[in-house]
Amino acid sequence: MGGREANVVLLDENGIRSDGRKVNETRKVTIKAGVLKNASGSAYIEFGGNKILAGVFGPRDVHPKHMSNPDTGILRVRYHMEPFSVSERKKPAPSRREIEISKVIKEALEPAVMLEKFPRTAVDVYLEVLQADGGTRCAALDAASVALADAGIPMRDLVCACASGKAADTLILDVNNEEDQAGQADMPIGYMPNLGKITLLQLDGVLTPDEYKKCIELGLEGCKQVYEIQKKALREKYFSSGDKD
Amino acid sequence: MKKFESKKRHVLPGDFITTAPLRLQGNVVLEGKRVIATSIGLSDVSADSVRVIPLTGVYLPKIDDLVIGTIQYIFGSSWFADINSCYQGMLLGQDVFGRGSYPTTSEMKERLEKGDIIYAKIANSDRQREPLISIADQSLGKIDSGELVKISPTKIPRLIGKHGSMIQTIESSTNATITVGQNGLIVVSCDETNGLLKALAAIRMVDEQAHLVNLTDKVKKMLESDGV
Amino acid sequence: MANLSIIDKLKRSKILDLLQEGKRIDDRALDEPRPLVIDTGVIPHANGSARVRLGDTEIVSGIKVQPDRPFPDMGDKGIFMCTAEILPLAHPSAETGPPQPDVIELARVVDRGIRESGMIDLSQFVLEKDKSVIGLFADNVVTDHDGNLFDACSYAAVAAIITSKIPKWEMKDDKPVLIENQESDAPITTIPISVTMGRIGEFIIVDPNIDEWGCLDARITITTNSDGNIVALQKGGSDGFTLEQLVKCSELSITIGKKIREIVKQATEGGK
Repeated sequence: MGGREANVVLLDENGIRSDGRKVNETRKVTIKAGVLKNASGSAYIEFGGNKILAGVFGPRDVHPKHMSNPDTGILRVRYHMEPFSVSERKKPAPSRREIEISKVIKEALEPAVMLEKFPRTAVDVYLEVLQADGGTRCAALDAASVALADAGIPMRDLVCACASGKAADTLILDVNNEEDQAGQADMPIGYMPNLGKITLLQLDGVLTPDEYKKCIELGLEGCKQVYEIQKKALREKYFSSGDKD
Repeated sequence: MKKFESKKRHVLPGDFITTAPLRLQGNVVLEGKRVIATSIGLSDVSADSVRVIPLTGVYLPKIDDLVIGTIQYIFGSSWFADINSCYQGMLLGQDVFGRGSYPTTSEMKERLEKGDIIYAKIANSDRQREPLISIADQSLGKIDSGELVKISPTKIPRLIGKHGSMIQTIESSTNATITVGQNGLIVVSCDETNGLLKALAAIRMVDEQAHLVNLTDKVKKMLESDGV
Repeated sequence: MANLSIIDKLKRSKILDLLQEGKRIDDRALDEPRPLVIDTGVIPHANGSARVRLGDTEIVSGIKVQPDRPFPDMGDKGIFMCTAEILPLAHPSAETGPPQPDVIELARVVDRGIRESGMIDLSQFVLEKDKSVIGLFADNVVTDHDGNLFDACSYAAVAAIITSKIPKWEMKDDKPVLIENQESDAPITTIPISVTMGRIGEFIIVDPNIDEWGCLDARITITTNSDGNIVALQKGGSDGFTLEQLVKCSELSITIGKKIREIVKQATEGGK
């Protein structure tokens, strides 16, 4: 990580990136809500080459009982990558990276979900990465929000997410896998647009104070674009062939 | 005099509904001066209150609700039932055997055991423990036969209809007996297979199309036709 | 599966009543499997992949091919291994954590069905005898559980293997080096198809769904190859079969196996 020599040209003289995008352009995003039969809520997202499935159960009983909270429901998140999701086959057991990402996504969703009406229960969010291509935690968070809404978990807002970063000395939106490997900074961001709250923020790389502010602003633009796609996915499931809008 | 919006709107979590200082009912939250939807559903603004009618979500037990449950196990002198909620319903042995009784596990098993279906009332629901259910009433108790169907609990009000109109339409048209639980579980029994299939189709229709205006007409039309 | 939700009594008695009339709760005949849909190439970055829907059961299988060391006593053969995981989002009772015995059994039965059939010619996977071979891993994940994971996982793994592309490695200085853009089709010798049957009372049903699975007295999975021979067997459940029932099951596995083999062939033709 961090500006090493790479065979790939991250940004050519016309400002076009290695996959043909402009610097402030996200990859193609599609989301479908309600794709699983057994889960209470679910969503499937394709974000560039990322393919991620999200399933939600709950609110439901907590086992063991001592983990439950008498005043409110708790949120549990498991981010997990399939062995075939990455170029070098990954062993099925959870890695430290997956455990950290699970925690970070949970803390990005907690400000949004309202679980006080469900004491002593848990809401479980399962995120399965079927194919990874840079920016999986943002794509997973996007799918998680849609799955939670699909399950009817009360939320103050949907949480949307997108990463921004820096490559070839230029700030870019939505860092793909190549740019993550060979670029200079990668900043995943999770955001609640109606409340203007940033609930996920990490940084890998080096940014000047000025770049830092601009990088967040650029990332928020991407987040807002994904927000519209999240809403579209839910409307398609719940309000299509409807006549009330 | 502020004109109020009686038109219902599709909303998603986080959507803005109104800034009017109305009483907050279900599935909304106040952020500063803005009333925000917290559920996918239909916003409903009236003269003095605002709420969202949800289209998805788990059943939360309310006192006096009639629910259908499945006995899971016996512990102490109580049965515990799955009532399609995030909480199990607790049915005291005393509710069935009388106050002050201490039925043995085998006595309890004889009356109700794992897998039995019951029609019960929510007797008590506080935040500290599992909701209490009761089958003490004449019309409540074990359900022996019929087809058990599950729909989203949020669709039950639509299935019942205003003053029971929708459910009565289905019952009279099919000769089926339909026992409806507020928790989304329904038992349908009918002597004729055709009536049974039609009743099931009508219930499925409500589950899938509860958010549409002309649902009542659609259901009536389907019930009157020959096929499903 | 250990902690399936309790099958309510109304449903259980309904299943038994219908069987007496030669019917099942989802309107199928006793020897009729559910509709099977196979999509291949769903994970383009993997060496091979397939998504299978058997009724409402859904499996995604991904193939990873990479250089590996051979097993000590099999230096002239490549490596093949199947894993299986019931993802926690597949069913409310699915748990996270180390695999339970039922999932381990699932993985090993699917693995054996493919391995014992000799489906993949592992002798073609040798880069340097006793030192370096190609390993092919079929990782199966259950994304939606509606019963009979044995067959669904097997079909997914088989379809993914048939349509997988094997990269080329050459030994240079004792290390395998990848030669770009020289992929070949997997060396397939036969197409193993598993058929799982369950017994409820005296009735044998093919491809039990999750409600039926909860009522089974016993079950058996039989895998046949393209020649119609039986290559693997697994009996499960807390009760047993008579000899007559076992013979009937073997006959069913051959006739139904043939039909399913055609579906798998059609689904994997385009992917090659």
